Parts: sequence; C-alpha cells; structure tokens
Amino acid sequence: MNNIWLLTKIMLKNSSRMGARKKGSEWKSLMLVALMLIGFLPMIISGVWFVAEMYDGLAQIGQESAILGMGLAMVSCAIFVLGIVYVITVFYYSQDVEHLLPLPLAPREILGAKFLVALFYEYLTELVLIGPLLVVYGVKSDAGVLYYLFAIVLFLVVPVVPLALSSILVMLFMRFTNIGKRKDRLRLIGGIVGIGAVLGFQYFIQRQNSAMEDIEQMQQQLLSGENVLLNLATQIFPSTKLAVLALVESGYWSGLGYLFAFLLATLAGILLFSFAGDRLYFAGVMGISDSAGTRRKVEGHAFAKLAQMRPAWWSYTIKEWRVIWRTPAYMLNCLLPSLLMPFLILIPLVGIQDRKDLLEAFRGWITGTGGISVAIFLAGSIVLAGMNSASVTAITREGQAFFLSKSFPLPFRQFLLAKLFPGTILSILSIFVLLAIAVWFLPITPLLAGLAVFVSIPGVMLMNQFGFLIDLQRPKLSWTSEQEAVKQNINPLFSLLFGGVLAAITILGVVSWGGSLIPVALVLFLVFGILNLMLYQVLVKKGPEWMDKIEK
Amino acid sequence: MIELNGVSKSYNGIRRAVDNLDLTIPDGEIFGFLGPNGAGKTTTIKMITGIIKPDAGQIRINGTDIAADPIKAKQRFGYVPDSPDLFLRLKGLEYVSFMADIYGVEQELRNSRIETLAKRFDMLDALGDTIQSYSHGMRQKIVIMGVLVHHPEVWILDEPLTGLDPKSSFTLKEMMREHADSGRTVFFSTHVLEVAEKLCDRVAIINKGKILFCGTFPQMQEHFQSHESLESLFLELTKHE
Ligand SMILES: Nc1ncnc2c1ncn2[C@@H]1O[C@H](COP(=O)(O)OP(=O)(O)O)[C@@H](O)[C@H]1O
Ligand SMILES: [Mg+2]
Repeated sequence: MNNIWLLTKIMLKNSSRMGARKKGSEWKSLMLVALMLIGFLPMIISGVWFVAEMYDGLAQIGQESAILGMGLAMVSCAIFVLGIVYVITVFYYSQDVEHLLPLPLAPREILGAKFLVALFYEYLTELVLIGPLLVVYGVKSDAGVLYYLFAIVLFLVVPVVPLALSSILVMLFMRFTNIGKRKDRLRLIGGIVGIGAVLGFQYFIQRQNSAMEDIEQMQQQLLSGENVLLNLATQIFPSTKLAVLALVESGYWSGLGYLFAFLLATLAGILLFSFAGDRLYFAGVMGISDSAGTRRKVEGHAFAKLAQMRPAWWSYTIKEWRVIWRTPAYMLNCLLPSLLMPFLILIPLVGIQDRKDLLEAFRGWITGTGGISVAIFLAGSIVLAGMNSASVTAITREGQAFFLSKSFPLPFRQFLLAKLFPGTILSILSIFVLLAIAVWFLPITPLLAGLAVFVSIPGVMLMNQFGFLIDLQRPKLSWTSEQEAVKQNINPLFSLLFGGVLAAITILGVVSWGGSLIPVALVLFLVFGILNLMLYQVLVKKGPEWMDKIEK
Repeated sequence: MIELNGVSKSYNGIRRAVDNLDLTIPDGEIFGFLGPNGAGKTTTIKMITGIIKPDAGQIRINGTDIAADPIKAKQRFGYVPDSPDLFLRLKGLEYVSFMADIYGVEQELRNSRIETLAKRFDMLDALGDTIQSYSHGMRQKIVIMGVLVHHPEVWILDEPLTGLDPKSSFTLKEMMREHADSGRTVFFSTHVLEVAEKLCDRVAIINKGKILFCGTFPQMQEHFQSHESLESLFLELTKHE
C-alpha cells in the first residue's frame, strides 16, 4: 500500500509539469488557471441556477431527490466516457511503465497507482460537474451535517465503479490489439470507431431529450421515469442507485444501510478491476512503443520516392505532416478534431431539423439580418481552429529533436511557414466540413456559403498563428511520450479559450452593428486580414529571438 | 576551424557549466574534447552549434560568427547530438533525405551519397523502416548519415562512439580520419581516454567547465604525470564504460 501511494505521488508530480516552467513563472501559471476558472464560472453559475429552479419545481410535489439521481447518473456517465481517455493516457501512453517494470514492484502496485492517478483526474472533473449540485441540494433542503458527510464520501467513491469499468474496457481493447506490427493503426481505427459510437450515442440522447433546456418538460420526464439518460445510467451503473438512496435518506438508518451497500458494490468493482488488470494490463502495455521493420532493401522507384529532393521549407512541412499522420496521439489531437468536431458543434441542429417552425424562423433570420449568419459561421470556424492542437503544439511535438532543428541553417520565415502549414490546412478543411454539414441541415444560399468561407479563412489563419505564438512562448519539450506532449499540456487550452473569446467578440461586434451580409463579410475579412498581417509581422520580427530563448 | 573566445554559460546563475573557455580547433586535425560526465562538453557543443546562447564570449566557425550570421555559420557544420532518439516516426531514408533537403543537396549527389553511406554503415536493409524500429546503434548511425549526407566542412560530434558496435565504430573513425586528412575539421567529445588516445591529433581536457589542458596526446601524458593533482581525473577518464 505504501508503494502505491509513493508511486501515485511520483506519477502525479511528473504529469503536473504542464508546459515548460521557467523560474518565477509559477505565479503566472496560477493566474492563468484562475483566469480559466473565471472562464468556467458562467457555466457553473448557470448550472447552479438550473439546479435551484429544478429543485423548486420538484419540491412542490415532493420529488426533489430526482435531481440527485439525475446528477449522479450524469456524472457516472461522464466519468465513464472521460475515464476511457484518462485510462488510455495514464495506463498506456505515459511511458513510465517501461521504467517501472524493472523495479521491484508488484504489478498490482503499478496498476493501483495508475488507477489512483486516473481517479485524481476524475475528481477534478467531478468537482466541476457535480460539486455545485451537491451543495445547492444541501442548502435548499436544509440538510444536516450527515448529508454533507455522506455527500463527501459519495463524491470520493462514486467515480470508482465507472472508472473501473472504463479501465476494464480499455484494458481489454489494448490487450487484444497488441498484435502485429500495425497495432498503432489498428488501435487508431478502434479509437475512431469508439468516437463514432460516442457521437452516435450523443445523437441518440439528443433526439430523445431534444428539449433539454425546457425545465418543465425535463421534470416531467424525470418523474415519469422516461429520462433516457437516467435510466441508462442506472442500468449501466446499478451502484449509482444505491448512492442516490443513501443521500436521500441520509437522516435515517436506512441511509447508512444504502451507503454500506454502495460501498460494498464499489469494493466489488475494485476487485473486478484488479482481477481483470492482473490478466490484461501487462500483456497490453508491453512493447507498446515497439514497431517492427521489414529490413528489406529499398530500391528503384521506392528509393527515388523517399529520397526525392524538395525545397527546405516544404520538406520540413512534409516532415511535420508525416509525423502527425503516423503518431496516434497527434492524429487524435491534431487531425481528427478538424473532421469530427464540426459534427459535435452541429449536433444541436439535429433537433432543429425536426421542427418546421424553428427552421422557418431560422430561414427568416438568415435572410433578414444576413450579416450575423456570416459572423456565426466565422465564429464556428474560429472555435474549431481553437480546438485543433496542430499549431499550438507545433514546437512541443518535436520534443528533444527541436534542439537539433535549432542547429539547422533554416531561415526563421521558412521554419514558421512549415510550422503553420499543417494546422492551417487542417483548419481550412474543417471550415469545409462545417459548411457541408450546415448546408445539409440549414437553408444556406450559395452567396452565404461563399462569403462564409471567404471570411473564415483569415479567421482560422489568425488562430493558427496565435497558437504558434503560444507554443513559441512556452513549449513543453521534455515529454516522455507523444501522448504527454499533446495531452498533459496546457497550451491547447489557451488556444481554446482564445478561440472562444475571439468568437464571442466577433458575434457581439456584428450583432451590435447589425449590418447586412456583404458589408459585414467585407469588414470581417479586412479586420481579420489586417490582424493576420500584424501578428505575422510580430512573429517574423520577434520569433527568432523567442526561439533562441528556448534552451531546455 | 572553430574558435571560441572567453565563452561562458551558466544554467541557473549559480555555477558556471562552462567557464571562460578559450579554444581553437584547427583545420586538418581530429580534435578530441575529453572530460568526465557533467564537465561541460555538451554545453560547449550546444553553444558552438547555436542551440544555446553563451552568456559571454564569441564563437566562430570557419571565420563566421554564429551569433552574427547564424544561417551562414550553420551551413558550415554538421552536428551529431548525444542522444539519437530523434524523429522516430520517420523512415531512415526519409530522415536522411530530409536532412539533405535542409542543406540543399542535389538529387544525383544525394542518391550516390546515401548509397555509399548506407553501404559503409551496413544500413542498406534498414533504410525503408521507421527509426523507431532501430536499435540504439542503428539510430546513432542514421543520425550520423543525416549529417554526412550534406558533406559539412566542420564535423561536430557529441559522444559519437558510445553505443556503436566495433565495426561501425571503426568505420566512423576511418571517416573522421579521411575528413581531417582532407584538410577539414573534426571536433568530437568523449569521456573515454582510450578513444581519444587512439584517434586524436590533439585533445582538450575539460573539467567543471574549465579547460585544464590543450595539446597533443604525448604532451598530455607528460602533463598528467607532472601534475599530481590531476591523477584522480586521469583515473576517472581511463575507466572503461
Ligand atoms: N539543461 C540544464 N539545466 C541545468 N543544468 C544543466 C543543464 N544541462 C547541463 N547542466 C549542467 O551543466 C553541467 C555540464 O553539463 P554537460 O555539458 O551536459 O556535461 P557533459 O556533456 O560534459 O557530460 C553539469 O553540471 C550539468 O548538471
Ligand atoms: Mg554530454
């Protein structure tokens, strides 16, 4: 047990080194985290408001406990889904395993520590997702000390079963894909299928609960037991039901009984996890970084293709491109968002499609105050570009090889071009995916489509330049696995945040102006064009100096 | 030729990793940079190659100041870093060709050079595989090939022989000899005295960031004998890997 704690502490320490840390920049990082919390604040506040409203409505008929059920069910689902990502990252792609294996540690201890690390991340997630709900419920129901005590215990224990389930799922997947020399690709395909399944699931839920925002309807659903999410969650995680009962009856002996039963169920989950882990984990993780070669001579045409001469900057670009395509972690974070995120953004449209009245309203709205629609499309493209980590990890991705790159006689402009190219191309690609989906669901005229692309291109170029600027300031080069480089890195969050702010400013600006389609498009194009030129000048002028400063 | 004048570097402002270094590495010689672990060899090499900036002093490569005209200076040398675990996702041939592109090597020339290098380092069968599938020594060889494909005037190699098998090690030494004999510069670091003894025309000994000695090998042995305080350092360097 001591070893597990020790290992957990080491792993957490290792992974919390987010971004390069210069001396004295700690308070800066703190500020940034604070800023991000402020960014989340509106979400939390509206969540609190929502819960309070629901509570009042349900309390009138004495069914307020349904909120707890709903909350815990939702958090269980979220933890399960996020758990899959955390487990892949922590269990498999943080390559400390290869260093730990030779140490005199029981496999159980390594696995236990890894589970605790993933659990730690889940707690952070849970804090945002359900912390406010538990507090609001407690305050509203004038709950006693026991309620809060139970709430804390449940907060700590609830994620265990969903996380154990996602661990088992991932371990199964990794165990049985750890074969052949194309396993990276095999896993990638598996991953894409998985993402597709999640998207499909979301689509399904969305269709069922198309009126999520409608509080009354939701109350209705909860009461009549028709809430799909709740039913599903309590079916997948039966233990969640016990947790809810324990909380609701926290004032009585029966509450203690439910709590006890819940803890027992959790214990069973842990046992199942360790049973599965013993059999699956090491067989899946060993040789994770292996890749076999054919050791055959390359000749003739194949040789000519691989050794073909190119201009330096283009060769560098192609190198970047190849690395992104061949590294699963990069592909998932730099390539796929461009293709998949547009679908995520537009899933709400599915609801609209079924409703003629909304669609009509939308049509009138687009043709009436045309300027806003082009601004909204631009904002969407900007948010998408912010979600793509290609440019914001352009330097980070090189890791230690970056220092070799520093010794190349490559003019900074060419370097800049090579670094911006992949991300920008991918962002432009996502503009077109977004457009295609939008055209499918909404009545969009060819003129609007053309103008949307026309303004979005400078928009995403700006985002990519900005991303590169961030990475140039604080690249994280001392990673041990590619997953760590892109996942345990705070820079993509900045790009996301910046994208959100820029999108909001754009929409607010255009709304308050209220211009019509063509003038708005022209002005947006000009504004973003000029911003691009300015930022480019800054990068070209100050970039070499900043790059020189990156020494470790 | 590489010239260092009064070069210093400290990483955290407390202790100098390299302290007021003066060094001239002449043409036509293999120059060994000898010192125990942590002596400041890598730090010096990183400054010469423009990867890190010295706190003070000038560095010139074939007469070009690396700080004043980095691009021109960088075209003069080829650099083999101490760790070869780089660009693992590229195929060997892609990597060497990428390096050839960076230094603008023409198609015909690169083809024949790659062919020759691969033959000499026994890498013909591995060129089509990703570097990730290479052993440590093979990775080392591909990095060396990436440097030699552009025929740099000045070779700068950081512990290049660590991890090479005897045959490849022999080949590399042979090539270093040829390069120096053609009147150009070979500068490499090592922490093994024996390596320096067999290979170098001239050595500099660095310890704790300071040059303790610079001269030919026989001069060095004399120097060690006459300075008893250096005995422990000498022992440290004669220990095998
Ligand atoms: N990135 C760094 N940060 C702080 N100190 C460093 C760094 N790199 C090297 N050092 C310190 O500088 C000194 C010289 O290191 P180095 O040049 O790598 O030695 P060598 O290559 O001769 O083994 C050592 O004391 C080492 O600890
Ligand atoms: Mg060294």
